[in-house]
Amino acid sequence: MATAVETGARITRIERDFHIAFHAMATPCEVRVETDDAAQAAAIAAVAEGEARRIEHKFSRYRADSVIGKINASGGARIIVDGETASLLDCADACYETSGGMFDITSGVLRRAWRFDGSDNVPAAERVRSLMPLIGWHKVSWRAPALVLPPGMELDLGGIAKEYAVDRVLASVMAITGAPVLVNFGGDLCVSGPRRNGDAWNVAIETVDGEGQMACMLQLMQGALATSGDARRFLLRDGRRYSHILCPHTGWPVESPPRSVTVAAASCVEAGITATLAMLQGTGAEAFLEREGIRAWCIR
Amino acid sequence: MQLNVLEAGRVRKRLSRISAGLLAATLGAHAASAQEYYDQEDPLGTRNDTFGPGVAYSQVDAALLVYQEGSGRVTAIEPTMNLAVHAADGRQLTLGLVADAVSGATPNGAVPSSQPQNFVTPLKAQGSTASVTGASGGSTIIHLPPTPGQIAAAALGRQYTVPANTLPMDKGFRDHRGAATIGWSQPLGNISDIGIGMGYSREEDYQAITANTHISQNFNANNTTVTLTLNGEFDSSSPFGGIPTPLTAMSAQWKTPTQRSKTQLGFVLGLTQVMTRRWLMQFNYSFDRQSGYQNDPYRVISLVDPATGDPTDSYYENRPINRQSQSLYWDNRLDLGPAVTDLGLRYYTDSWGITSKTAELSERIGLGGSFYIEPSARWYQQTAADFFHYYLVAGQTLPQYASSDIRLGAFTATTFGAQFGFRLDGRQEIYIKGEYYSQTGNGHPADAIGQLRQQNLFSGVKSAIVFMGYTWDFH
Repeated sequence: MATAVETGARITRIERDFHIAFHAMATPCEVRVETDDAAQAAAIAAVAEGEARRIEHKFSRYRADSVIGKINASGGARIIVDGETASLLDCADACYETSGGMFDITSGVLRRAWRFDGSDNVPAAERVRSLMPLIGWHKVSWRAPALVLPPGMELDLGGIAKEYAVDRVLASVMAITGAPVLVNFGGDLCVSGPRRNGDAWNVAIETVDGEGQMACMLQLMQGALATSGDARRFLLRDGRRYSHILCPHTGWPVESPPRSVTVAAASCVEAGITATLAMLQGTGAEAFLEREGIRAWCIR
Repeated sequence: MQLNVLEAGRVRKRLSRISAGLLAATLGAHAASAQEYYDQEDPLGTRNDTFGPGVAYSQVDAALLVYQEGSGRVTAIEPTMNLAVHAADGRQLTLGLVADAVSGATPNGAVPSSQPQNFVTPLKAQGSTASVTGASGGSTIIHLPPTPGQIAAAALGRQYTVPANTLPMDKGFRDHRGAATIGWSQPLGNISDIGIGMGYSREEDYQAITANTHISQNFNANNTTVTLTLNGEFDSSSPFGGIPTPLTAMSAQWKTPTQRSKTQLGFVLGLTQVMTRRWLMQFNYSFDRQSGYQNDPYRVISLVDPATGDPTDSYYENRPINRQSQSLYWDNRLDLGPAVTDLGLRYYTDSWGITSKTAELSERIGLGGSFYIEPSARWYQQTAADFFHYYLVAGQTLPQYASSDIRLGAFTATTFGAQFGFRLDGRQEIYIKGEYYSQTGNGHPADAIGQLRQQNLFSGVKSAIVFMGYTWDFH
C-alpha cells in the first residue's frame, strides 16, 4: 500500500516498519521507522526528504546556486561561508591532513580526464598531467569563515555530503520521534539504535558482481555503515583494470584497491571517509584497516 | 565484539574525532552517540546464517565413533563432543570432551606355537579375589606358589591358554577413558593469533596431561600465515600388576614400582600459503622429544629354542627411554569447481630407526542440493625400529632393547573411506563416515627358525571405523 504525500516520498508499510523511499543526491534514499503511527510516518517522511534536499541543494557541485557552485565560480575571489559549510570544510581540511593529502576535495577536476564508463577510454598521460596544477587542498586558502579558491580549481564535497546527509537526516528524525529509525542513502546508512524489542537491524552487503546478490548479512545495533567502491565504475584497457579511485598525488587510479570496502563506525561521515581512505590505500587497504583496528569488510 | 578494546590506530582515532567534531558542530543530539557507539558491547552482530571470520557464533559437533578390529579383536565405542565459541574479533574458545570404552583381545607380543601356550599375568587389582574373572574373558584365577614375605591374598594371578598355531592374545583387555580439552586463542596487538590449550585424559591405568601454545602471524595481505606451536605432555602409567622389570620372564606377581612417567616436548613450525584463489598449500615441520617410560607394560616377546623355534619363555619388552622424531608434512587443498581435492604427503623419521611415508588423497564432491560425498584413500609405509624383533633366541645374549610390537615393525597400511554429509539447513549438518584400515607386512621372515617357518608372525590388524556426527552452528 503506497500513500502519496506532498513531499513526493513513497511510504509503504512493511511488517513492523514504515518504509519511506525517495530519490535524492543521485541515489535511492530510504528511511525505515518502526512505528504503527501512519501520520507520524508521513511527518517523518517530510522532515527526512526535506533535510536531504536541503543538503543536496546546498552542496551540489552541479548547481550554480549551491554554496559549492558559488565557490567554484568565484574566480579566485574571497568568499565568506556559513557555519555549516565551514564545519564541512574544516572536516575536509582535517581529513586532508590526516591522510597525508590522499583525501582531497579538490581532486574532482580529474573527472575532466577520466570517465569511468566501463570502456577502454584511458586518458593520455599529458591530459592528466595538465590537470595536476589544479589539484591540492594546500593551494586553497581556508580560514573559517573565509575561503579563497585559486582560479580553475574546484571543490567537490561528494566524498562527505551524502554521508553527512544521512547523519543529519537521522538526527532530524530523532528530534521528532523516539521510534527506532534506519536511514540509508544508497548504501551509506546509520541507525538510531536497536529495534524496539532490542533486535538489531539487518543490513546486507551486496556482492560486486551480481546485481542484488548478497555477499554478507550484518546486524547493526548502533552506529553506521558506509561502503566505498563500485564495480560498475572502471576502465579496462589491454587487460588492465583501472579503478575509479584516483590518487590526487598522481592523477591516476590507485593500484588495485578492493572492489568494495564497507566500514562500520559511530557516524556515517566517519564510516564514509574511513572507507574512502581505505580504498585510497590500494593494495594496502586491508593492512590499513587491520592496523587501525577498523571494523570493515573488503571484497576483492 | 568491542571496538573500544581493539588497538585503535592513530588515523582511526583522528577520523573519529574529525567526524564527531563535524556532527557536533552541526547537529548536537546525534553527535553524542559516537561515544555511546564505541562503548557498546556489540554494536554489530551478524545475521543468523552467516558463520565465519568476523562473525560471532558457536559450533557444536557431536559424534559417535565405533571401531571394530577384525578377528574378534578390539572393539571401541567413543562418543565425542566439541564446542567452539567464536567472537567476531577472532577470539575463540574451544572445549572438547571424549569418552571411550575399549574391550577385546590384543596380541600380547608372543609368537604362535605348534603347541598350546599358557600365559600368566597379575590380577587387575592387587589382592583381588575371584570377582575379577568376569572381565577376563576365558582366563582363570590361579593360586601362585607363595613367595616369601608376600601376603596370601596378593598371591593370586590370572592364567590364559592360547591354542596351538594361534597368535597369542590377551582377551582380558578392557578399559575406559575420559578426556577433556580446553583452548583459547585471540588476536593480540600486532599478532594475528595467539593461544593456549590444556588437556587431561584418564584411563584406568594411564593418565596424560597436555599443554600447548601457539602464535601465528599473517603476512602478505593475509595470504601467508606462519604458525609456531609448542606442545608439552606429561604421562603417567600405572599398569595393572605394576611396572615389570624389562627383559625378565612374565609372571603373575605384582611388581614395583607401580608407576612410571614420560614427558614429551615438541614444536611445529607451519606455513600456510594461499597460492591462488583455489589453491591453499600448507607446509609443517615438527620436532618431538619424548623421555621416560615408553614400554608397553603388558607386552612380552617370546624366547624361542634355537633349533625348534618353540617358545620357551616370554620376557617383558624394553624400549629406549628417549625418542626423538621429526616430520615434514605437505598439504594441498584445491578447489576445482564442484570438487575439492585434498592431497597430503608426510615424511617421518625418529631416533628409534623408524621412517615412514604417508600419502593421503580425498575428494569432496557436491552432489547437488545439500548433499556431498567425500571419498578418501591413505597409504602408509614404515620401516622397523632398530630393536624390533619377532622373537628372541634363547641362549643368545639378550639385546638391551627388544619389542615385538608390530607398530614398531615394518608394515604397509592402506585406508579407504568415504564420508557422506547432508546439510539440514545453513546451520546443521549430519555426516556419516566409514573407513576400512588394513595393515600388511611380512609374516614369514627368511630367518625364521623351526616351527616358526610355518607360522604367520605378522600380527597386524584390519579394522573398520564408523563415524556418525552432527554439527550445529548457532549464535
